[in-house]
Amino acid sequence: MLRCEGVGKRYGTGRWILSDVDMKVSAGDVVAVVGTNGSGKSTLLRILAGLSRPTSGTVSGRPAAIGYVPDRFTAHERMSSVSYLTHMGRIRGMSTSAARARGGDLLTRLALVGGPDAPLRTLSKGNAQKVALAQALLVRPDLLVLDEPWSGLDASAHGVLGEFIDDVAADGGAVVFTDHREAITETHARSAYAITDGRVTRRGGHRAGAPAPMAELVLTVPADGAVPAEVDWYALPGVADAARRGRHVVLRVAREHSDTVLLTALQHRWSVDAVAGVGSASGNAAGADAPRTDAGSAAR
Amino acid sequence: MIALVRYLFTILLLSQRYLAPLLLFVGLAAVLTSSDSGPLPATYSAVAGAMLLSSAWLTMALLGLEDPPHRAIVVVGAGSHLRVLLGSVATTASWCLLLTGAGLVLPLVFGTHTLHPADLVLGTEAQLVCAFTGMAVGLLCSRLVFRRQGYALVAALVLLLASLLGKGVSPVNLLLTDLQHASKSADVLGSTGVLVGAAAALLAAGAAATHAITVRKS
Repeated sequence: MLRCEGVGKRYGTGRWILSDVDMKVSAGDVVAVVGTNGSGKSTLLRILAGLSRPTSGTVSGRPAAIGYVPDRFTAHERMSSVSYLTHMGRIRGMSTSAARARGGDLLTRLALVGGPDAPLRTLSKGNAQKVALAQALLVRPDLLVLDEPWSGLDASAHGVLGEFIDDVAADGGAVVFTDHREAITETHARSAYAITDGRVTRRGGHRAGAPAPMAELVLTVPADGAVPAEVDWYALPGVADAARRGRHVVLRVAREHSDTVLLTALQHRWSVDAVAGVGSASGNAAGADAPRTDAGSAAR
Repeated sequence: MIALVRYLFTILLLSQRYLAPLLLFVGLAAVLTSSDSGPLPATYSAVAGAMLLSSAWLTMALLGLEDPPHRAIVVVGAGSHLRVLLGSVATTASWCLLLTGAGLVLPLVFGTHTLHPADLVLGTEAQLVCAFTGMAVGLLCSRLVFRRQGYALVAALVLLLASLLGKGVSPVNLLLTDLQHASKSADVLGSTGVLVGAAAALLAAGAAATHAITVRKS
């Protein structure tokens, strides 16, 4: 459906940010765009969303209903979250009551702290990001463009975002998102494009049909009273989700990286409580209903 | 489009950035027309001068209100840059119409005049000429065109001065000269109507230029 042919972009007479980009996004596809900071990911997404006109080349087949989440959503308006969503829904052609109901529903699912009536400018970065996500999903998008949507979101919202992406793809919509963490792109995307020096190359998807196998690690504070060191779990390879539950830390890790993560955890004096295999990588914890117990749980 | 205008109107209202241009307008109208008993065309030309400044300020305030990511969301929701720009123009125009209403009444409250219906029509026309010109200046000096607010302010002052002083070229200058010398409103209704058309064309040109620059820069 959406097709970029020979797309290039530069501002004025500056350097070419993108050059000769060929890309195809079909209905039901979930596409990740990976690249370093400043590599042109956001520019490519702005072109896909129709915000920016390419300097050369053509973009064709852009659908009418597009949801766009910018990379940062600094809300400094006095308007409340739910009335902002109501306005955005009306601009997209919804009725006031439908927009208000849908907005409230999305904010409840995303668990917005402070409630739907909190003014936008009082929201933290993560909560503002939730409002930005909600506005993109008011009308079921045929194309959902997400610029680093996971940044600032808490662990439970990570799961909800994964569900939203799967829902849009299941309804025949296309999703394009960026993130710089390999684990996240591997978990959610069916195919991936990498940007280097303004050129876009296609990468093999890890989730072609079957979801990537995941493992769940439950870590705890050791019984001998040693204090484990804090670890930035998301910085480790393969970590899709890290949730803290009391004295426990629950990690969802791609199976191929689980050994490395476990070793790192042990080196930081964490104790292993349980290790379980999880079939699906869709981001929600429901897949852990029937855990396959490994040798690690003998410690329990 | 109505939803878009409603949204933009609300954010301007809630931001309170309308307050300064509103006070400027009422203040100037009060100072320039209080205890005035001369012919109404000259009085309304003074009010129109105040409208020129206020409409430019309101336009710049509205377009500077949203930072680029917010505007991007509105643009994607509304479907195009052009639609959002036209929505902004319509929103400022509705604010200017509110000011025009105040501008018609205030001189009658502050001074002593004998009112004819033609005076009210002329007052509306005169303020529209200045509102359209001011909005054109405001668009060209808005955040969409100038990233640096300092340069935008200097450019706005230069353009506003040029439109006030540009002899025989600017509709505002023609209007002010006409109205200062007119004693009866009915005599200048036709020529002012032509100036309203010229100012509207100026606004259209300003909007087209702003749109072209926005698309180039995006």
